[in-house]
Amino acid sequence: MLEKSLVDSIKTIDSLTQAQQLALGKFIDKGFPTSKWEEWKYASLKHLNERNWKWSPETLSVNIPKPAWKHSVIIKTLNGNTHSEGTLPQGIALLPVSEFMAQNPTFESVWKVRNPILDQNSLYDLNEALASNYAILWVKKGVKIAEPLLHHYLVSGQQDTAVQSKIFIYLEEDSEITWFEQQRSESSHAILSNYVQEIWVSKNAHLTLIKDQDLQQSITHVDHTFIFQQESSLVDAFTFSINAAYLRNNLHFYIDGPQVVSNLNGLYVPGEDQLMDTHSVVDHRMPHSESNELYKGVLMGNATGVFNGKIFVRPDAQKTNAFQSCKNVLASDRATMNTKPQLEIWADDVKCSHGTTTGQLSDEALFYMRSRGISKATAQTLLLLAFVQQVIDKLEHAEIRAELSEKIVNKIQASLGLTLL
Amino acid sequence: MLSVKNLHARIGEKEILKGINLEVHAGEVHAIMGPNGSGKSTLASVLAGRSDYEVSEGSVEFFGKDLLDLSPEARAAEGLFLAFQYPVEIPGVSITNFMKSAINEIRTYRGQDPMDAVQFLKMFKEKMAYVNIDQSLLSRALNEGFSGGEKKRNEIFQMAVLEPKLAILDETDSGLDIDALRIVAEGVNKLKTPQNATILVTHYQRLLDYIIPDFVHVLYKGKIVKSGNKDLALELEERGYDWIISALD
Ligand SMILES: Nc1ncnc2c1ncn2[C@@H]1O[C@H](COP(=O)(O)OP(=O)(O)OP(=O)(O)O)[C@@H](O)[C@H]1O
Ligand SMILES: [Mg+2]
Repeated sequence: MLEKSLVDSIKTIDSLTQAQQLALGKFIDKGFPTSKWEEWKYASLKHLNERNWKWSPETLSVNIPKPAWKHSVIIKTLNGNTHSEGTLPQGIALLPVSEFMAQNPTFESVWKVRNPILDQNSLYDLNEALASNYAILWVKKGVKIAEPLLHHYLVSGQQDTAVQSKIFIYLEEDSEITWFEQQRSESSHAILSNYVQEIWVSKNAHLTLIKDQDLQQSITHVDHTFIFQQESSLVDAFTFSINAAYLRNNLHFYIDGPQVVSNLNGLYVPGEDQLMDTHSVVDHRMPHSESNELYKGVLMGNATGVFNGKIFVRPDAQKTNAFQSCKNVLASDRATMNTKPQLEIWADDVKCSHGTTTGQLSDEALFYMRSRGISKATAQTLLLLAFVQQVIDKLEHAEIRAELSEKIVNKIQASLGLTLL
Repeated sequence: MLSVKNLHARIGEKEILKGINLEVHAGEVHAIMGPNGSGKSTLASVLAGRSDYEVSEGSVEFFGKDLLDLSPEARAAEGLFLAFQYPVEIPGVSITNFMKSAINEIRTYRGQDPMDAVQFLKMFKEKMAYVNIDQSLLSRALNEGFSGGEKKRNEIFQMAVLEPKLAILDETDSGLDIDALRIVAEGVNKLKTPQNATILVTHYQRLLDYIIPDFVHVLYKGKIVKSGNKDLALELEERGYDWIISALD
């Protein structure tokens, strides 16, 4: 149940539709997730009850430095409002979701009967209640864009503000895009940044999804990304969790067709007073598909990390290959990591494997390096950078790779007080 | 240059080195032999500064400095080098990056300017020739997936790059094929000067055909129980250790 004072303030929001009111009711009943909830055991949001939230965020405008690569458009989601600047490439449109559904009744009927998402939580309800008229990026059939589309997500507030943002990405058959999302904040006040992303990847489509999560220490950021993949589609997802006091990723893949490939790559580097929690779900509902999860974490200071990776292989999903690996380095003796792989397999002809490790840097390796004259700090730096590089190197786009690499290296070096010669 | 006196070292409750005495001077080659588990690698590790071992008694001086007081990296900067019996695999770190960090940190320690990329590459190429190391190994992650012999050769390559004053080679000959053994031995001989010294830990006379030792020591149960010249190695090859051990008991 939500705190009484917050119930009173949230109920003053008017002109909600019936569906929105229903979702709001659910949120009020459930309240913010606490550690009593199984899926939020290590990542309670109880502290959100102590703030006097402003529920309708202010309107923002912002100038973003142009990315290093050639581009013609930036898509911005500023405190929940999405618009584009510059010219969208041919075959791509950004429009309100209601308008899109009106133009695409066939898809709307398919969308309405999609399988419900798993682990539906109260923050999703809150988002549904308040982020109603969100935008959809519509990539038309056969449209292939080589250059990444830059999405700038920003939250801000002059007082403690709860921001609900949502975006829908719809890839038609045979289309291909790279969505590079910078998640940022600009506020010294507490911000609840509650973000839902729904993605439909049609037959033979290919999406590269890159999230660069670098928010301020006053921010509680919850990212719900739900990806629905159809026959023979391919998704390469990357989540780089770099900064925020509290960062939760709920990343779900629903594999709705055969010959689907889902690649989930993640790197989290929480430092002092930061918590980063990844809850991934890969739901294999159809046969002959493949999912690969590679997660790595470097935990510094008194950071807390959580990885919960669920893989479901439904009875129809024969010949599924599902792999999961989660490796963590505790770079401080005050840091903690909680891992929980969760495989539920109902089909019999499948190949699944998972492995999680959490440990310190190898003493053997450190001694070997030091015996060559390399100082302990440099040896640690080299080992940590090599450890994270494995995820970063999977990024194909050179500029994005360089940008993220630099940022992550700086974060690790600053947190540990290390520098390379 | 090296003076080891009554060195005792333990790991947990277990005492492994029980009073080692060893004097090494510039220009000398010492061979240390001895049965498995006698403490040869432990001695090498203690000298290089591995912290698993606790030195409970004795002293080690290196060019007049208290070696035991220095960090492993400071020992390296002072001119000590250990070629590991089991070189460690370091995934994701290339040899080039690794050696560049090593060289420049050592130079900083010695108050020298760091080497620039051009100088470094030139020197690197020269040293590669010493051990005939394959260029392709250098872009790979350090020791990762290297064959046993490749790892050993890479140790000697690193030694060539770092030019130590005292090199301790712990069974660098084990696992090398006949040609590789010759190449590695020639590499070691080329690096020899009147100013530096080498300690060879080995089980086989074979290596000593190529690198002629001035002294041969037998380590047994944590002590040097016999020392001699190169003929001692020949005798050990022929007769084994029993005659020495039984003379002790
Ligand atoms: N980390 C350790 N923990 C427990 N015992 C150890 C450890 N390191 C070495 N020892 C023990 O110390 C003894 C000496 O080992 P060491 O490796 O120095 O022998 P060695 O003479 O190099 O043998 P080899 O010829 O087989 O290489 C052995 O009994 C070994 O088991
Ligand atoms: Mg040994």
